[in-house]
Amino acid sequence: MTRSTWLFEPGGSVPYDPANEAMHDLAARRLAGEVPDVLILLEHPPVFTAGRRAKPEHLLWSEQEAAARGARVRHIDRGGSFTFHGPGQLVGYPILDLGARPDAGAYLRALEEAVIRTGAELGVELHRREDVQTGVYAGDDKVCAIGVRLMRARVALHGFALNCDTDLSWFDGIVACGLPNNGVTSLSDLLGRRMGVDEVRPVVRRHLATLFNLSLTPPPSEEAARSNLTPMHARAG
Amino acid sequence: MTSIQMPQLGETIVEGTILKWLKSEGDSVERDEPLFEISTDKVDTEVPSPVAGTVTRIIVAEGETVPVGTELAEIASGEDAPAGSSDAPAGAAAASSAPLASEAGSGPSTPTPDQGADDASSAPASAPTPVASAGAGSAPGPLPDRGGRSQILSPLVRKLAQEHAIDLSTIEGTGTGGRITKSDVMSVMAQGGGQAAAPAGAPAPAAVSSPAAVAPPSVGRAAAQGDTVEPMSHIRKAIASHMLASVNETARAWTTVEVNVDHLVKLRDRAKDAFLATHGVKLTYLPFVVRATIDALKAYPTVNSRIDGENVVTPRAVHMGVAVSYDAGLIVPVIRDADAMNSVGIARAIVDLAARARAHQLTPDEVQGATFTITNPGPYGSLVSVPIISQPNAGILSLDAIQKRPVVVEHDAIAVRSMVYVSMSWDHRLLDGEVATRFLARVKHNLESWDFAEDLGV
Repeated sequence: MTRSTWLFEPGGSVPYDPANEAMHDLAARRLAGEVPDVLILLEHPPVFTAGRRAKPEHLLWSEQEAAARGARVRHIDRGGSFTFHGPGQLVGYPILDLGARPDAGAYLRALEEAVIRTGAELGVELHRREDVQTGVYAGDDKVCAIGVRLMRARVALHGFALNCDTDLSWFDGIVACGLPNNGVTSLSDLLGRRMGVDEVRPVVRRHLATLFNLSLTPPPSEEAARSNLTPMHARAG
Repeated sequence: MTSIQMPQLGETIVEGTILKWLKSEGDSVERDEPLFEISTDKVDTEVPSPVAGTVTRIIVAEGETVPVGTELAEIASGEDAPAGSSDAPAGAAAASSAPLASEAGSGPSTPTPDQGADDASSAPASAPTPVASAGAGSAPGPLPDRGGRSQILSPLVRKLAQEHAIDLSTIEGTGTGGRITKSDVMSVMAQGGGQAAAPAGAPAPAAVSSPAAVAPPSVGRAAAQGDTVEPMSHIRKAIASHMLASVNETARAWTTVEVNVDHLVKLRDRAKDAFLATHGVKLTYLPFVVRATIDALKAYPTVNSRIDGENVVTPRAVHMGVAVSYDAGLIVPVIRDADAMNSVGIARAIVDLAARARAHQLTPDEVQGATFTITNPGPYGSLVSVPIISQPNAGILSLDAIQKRPVVVEHDAIAVRSMVYVSMSWDHRLLDGEVATRFLARVKHNLESWDFAEDLGV
């Protein structure tokens, strides 16, 4: 049986704070059974986010320095360490009810699988490094960071961040995911040609829908308005 | 008392870190109210309380990382004695929350006469301060039936007694079978008994002076005298979870065929001495069955397959698992590439693996990677068995006891033949009845028609 799922695709760069707020609001309402499962696919303007286990020294720039370069720093409630979100990166927030006895490990593996299949379809071989950490890698370099929270040990929120044509110099500002010996890469670098978010989004969306059995539909218009998931400015497709 | 443990958030997640306690010791918590936050690898979550009650003890501090299943805290649920009795033995708390305390405790099920109740009932009605009042005064902690006395109490009576700090052990019930009723409690209250409930966390000094309070704590269903109680071994636990996982995950169906093994019995009787002399191992029926089964697995490879995610993996080779019982339980050593062996090779491999299994000398890779399993309860006399599939195999074949039975043979004659039931539990997710039955029919045909004499090299 497929899960009827609202798909939010603001189609532009959505500031982190309202997106984070919308995500928590939707998750709380998912927990209460007021809304179906939700998939949010978007981009953020530059922001460094720190999970609960992030070590302060893994932010290599000061907050002022980051701000001077145009990036904010946010301490949030997902698992994992520091990561970066910004232009050219496809961010996915699946808000799924994983049931009363969720297998969080299996959920993470399925998120990875969606990205691995996306890579395969686009022509780049990606893989897991379960010996190292959750996420999707090409060789030793991470192309997709994953960090998740379960609300009441049940509803998943936060998600994954896949570098499409991200400016990777942003990652100089952090020890990404707390791993000093692993680099970061992007689909564009791996493919040797530009692979933008708009090209990657439908592929990721399709693999997520297959893996999680999601039947994606647009949310009611009042939900789209309520959610605050609106881009800062329209972007040319 | 409810023990709160580090939850299992997934099969591969073996430990978690306490990020934050959302409640402190002494706080009350509602059922499903977030109790603490944990972090596991890349997943954080807040964990809701499974019960309503009071957090009486926090065992694992914030920042500590502990394995799944570790006890993190204790919650005295609403039915337990309230916080004042947190120093009571767990067994006593359990007994007081059990509706039929007399079954849980070791005490007799009739009220014991020497707990003040008789004094109360024999006290002159005109006495201005019944013993109940004095009793309550000396025992500020609300302790319904803490004394271990048999009592079936309605929730209302419990609540009233707790709210007014009435020591129920001092009341002689007037209800059926001496039960304390609401009006019994009301009448004590009317006589000035009881008092406002003691603050949570107050000690219960009177408990020590109560003779029954020093009774040994009891467990839910106590072992009878002479019973032995031992913790489960790691191997027993591993077998238990493996078996339960198989029952939960497979769609198990079962099929059996009856096989005429008359000529195999005669062959073995004829060849066993020479076989032992030539090959150094005893000849059993198992190598014949393994050989016959391998041929059928080659003919019906889905029986040799397994489910991997959304795929079906069908190995080319047959790695035959053979269930072996030994002192610690059950183990399934694997004859690797069994399809490349003749009966002698298989006989040797079985004897070698079984001997080393019983000597606890198998290496980990010798008990992994079976593509199919055979179990052999026949020597112990089992006539028909329904084994549990050893996952991830698609099936397990069972060889039961060979018996002489009267059977109908050619020309409708009745004759005595050595017969055996060969059965298979199989996973209906992978196979259907037709394949399973054709497979078993092939095993039967092989056992009944093959001439193993040459294969034995004797």
